[in-house]
Amino acid sequence: MAGRRVLITGVGSSVGAALARRLEQDPGFEYVAGLDTRRPGGDIGRTELIDADIRDPAIADVISSTAVDTLVHNQIVRRPGRGMSSATMHDVNVIGSLQLISACERTPQIRNIVVRGSAGIYGSEPQAPQFFDEGMAHLYPLRTRFQRDVSEIENLFATYARRHPDVTCTLLRYQPAIGPSLDTQVARYLSLPVAPTYLGFDPRIQLVHEDDALDALAAAVHRPVHGAVNVAGRGTIGLTRMLRIAGRVSLPVIGPLFGPVVDGMRRAGLADLSPDFRRLLRYGRAVDTSRLSEDVGFEPRFTTEAAVTDYLARRGSPGAAPSRVPVAP
Amino acid sequence: MTPTGQIEMAARFLAALREGLDAGAELPDALTRSAAVLPGDARERVRAALRRLSGDYPEDEWGFDEEFVRMVEPAFEFLYERWWRVRAGGVANVPAHGRVLLAANHAGILPWDAMMISLAIQREHPLPRYPRFLVLNWAFELPYVSVAIRKLGGVVASPHNASRLLEQDRLLAVFPEGVKGAGKPFSERYRLQRFGRGGFVEVALRTGAPIVPVAVVGSEEIYPKLGEAPLLARLLRAPYFPLTPTFPWLGPIGVVPLPSKWRIEFCEPIETAAYGPAAADDRALVLELSEQVRETIQGKLYESLVKRGRAFV
Repeated sequence: MAGRRVLITGVGSSVGAALARRLEQDPGFEYVAGLDTRRPGGDIGRTELIDADIRDPAIADVISSTAVDTLVHNQIVRRPGRGMSSATMHDVNVIGSLQLISACERTPQIRNIVVRGSAGIYGSEPQAPQFFDEGMAHLYPLRTRFQRDVSEIENLFATYARRHPDVTCTLLRYQPAIGPSLDTQVARYLSLPVAPTYLGFDPRIQLVHEDDALDALAAAVHRPVHGAVNVAGRGTIGLTRMLRIAGRVSLPVIGPLFGPVVDGMRRAGLADLSPDFRRLLRYGRAVDTSRLSEDVGFEPRFTTEAAVTDYLARRGSPGAAPSRVPVAP
Repeated sequence: MTPTGQIEMAARFLAALREGLDAGAELPDALTRSAAVLPGDARERVRAALRRLSGDYPEDEWGFDEEFVRMVEPAFEFLYERWWRVRAGGVANVPAHGRVLLAANHAGILPWDAMMISLAIQREHPLPRYPRFLVLNWAFELPYVSVAIRKLGGVVASPHNASRLLEQDRLLAVFPEGVKGAGKPFSERYRLQRFGRGGFVEVALRTGAPIVPVAVVGSEEIYPKLGEAPLLARLLRAPYFPLTPTFPWLGPIGVVPLPSKWRIEFCEPIETAAYGPAAADDRALVLELSEQVRETIQGKLYESLVKRGRAFV
């Protein structure tokens, strides 16, 4: 039997590149392709790199010519980066996914789709269940642009999956990732000289270690399941405790002043916290991961707390900036 | 220790701290070392506080912080023994292991009664454990209050949270009267409100947890609600805004609960496991069990009220 053929979008990101490296070493995959406008860092072996913008309608022809049976969608932008407006982010997220879907429609060989989405879809709410399960995506109104993006992406893929019952479409909902080689919002937050917090709030934060983020993606490629699956490390950590372990000084700000203070920090070039992240700092969020362990058969190695301590131990001295890896095309 | 002795001790502590800092030690380090001159328990307290400052304290996935609970316990002990002179009965009816649902009457938003139930179990039960309790949603939007409640074991009242806690074989306290109970006027005290749609029974059936009815006398006199200000409630987006003889007229002092005399009675458990999880959808059974719990608590309340006698002296 011939091996599987897989295409990974967003291969220029560290998780995308790491997944490509792992799959190209797996004899079960006869063909690995990576789509991105960025070059992946590090060595890439037999992966065919396709230099194309995911928003470009031309990718439909490119993808159908590869005749892949598995698609890993790893190009969802979680926050506008340097020089990337939120409009561009919305474009990459929604128009990119739309182009990808139309490419899938023209690729009859497609059997599995794995989307690296976000648990941001649940939002951060004071009265939320302490652990969201996969059925609770629309308990609350979508409050931020990123939430609406994620919801729209999920809808696109869910509709596609309904039209094609023979395709298994896995929507992974990731909690924020942390790790020494990732430049994520949490990592930046933990390296601020002073970390702004909401006065009188100490939310429960749940994270996933970068190794587990990658392993979960690989596990879903190997064992695709239908529908949404939460991805997070076990347990939670209080924000105050996380900052204390990191040896950071917190700056408690009363609710109405939090926005202006953070905006001021942004203008000073210190911090850029997305609206989603701000809500997370106020109300927190945790998810139930029983589907990940029972259906996908993957158990994260790092608890949330272990992910934080591992990150702190390996990023070097406190205050040092995390290694920069490109996150946006 | 005499007051002069305490001052002397403080002076020695500060001198040692000064020495440490002069020798170039970092503040936390210097504090830890100078704590050595303090007597045993004070030294332990300084060390514990420093350890907490470095983030070294346990919090479970719900945010429950057992160390914090033990730190604030003396304050609750005072309320239990001196302020409210709590007497607890039937504590042995609370199973020592596995999932258990405690269902109690309730008044007020602040979960004083939950803390007293917890303390009654800590003090009187042969194998004590800390109960978790469901708290009215609104409390979780409040700064500080929300954090304190979470650390003490409070959880947003929702069937999802209740099921998960019980599936983890924990002891869970619920107040089935909900917001109707919390906003009871003083004249209605100890008259149990309707138990909603019996959601707590559904959760108990689904998880097979026995229900232990708990009757709390005393808690409904601590904030005698005489009226309310609906406009203020709307403004604060609160479920209601109570007016008591002291609140809000006296400001923060109005939040001090009145020193009523308390009795907490734990009744015999009502088993639910035999019905099976599917019975959770049987409306008739749910309402019947809900009514049974309600009647048990109501009966016990009247009994305890008579036994207690006058409310405040």
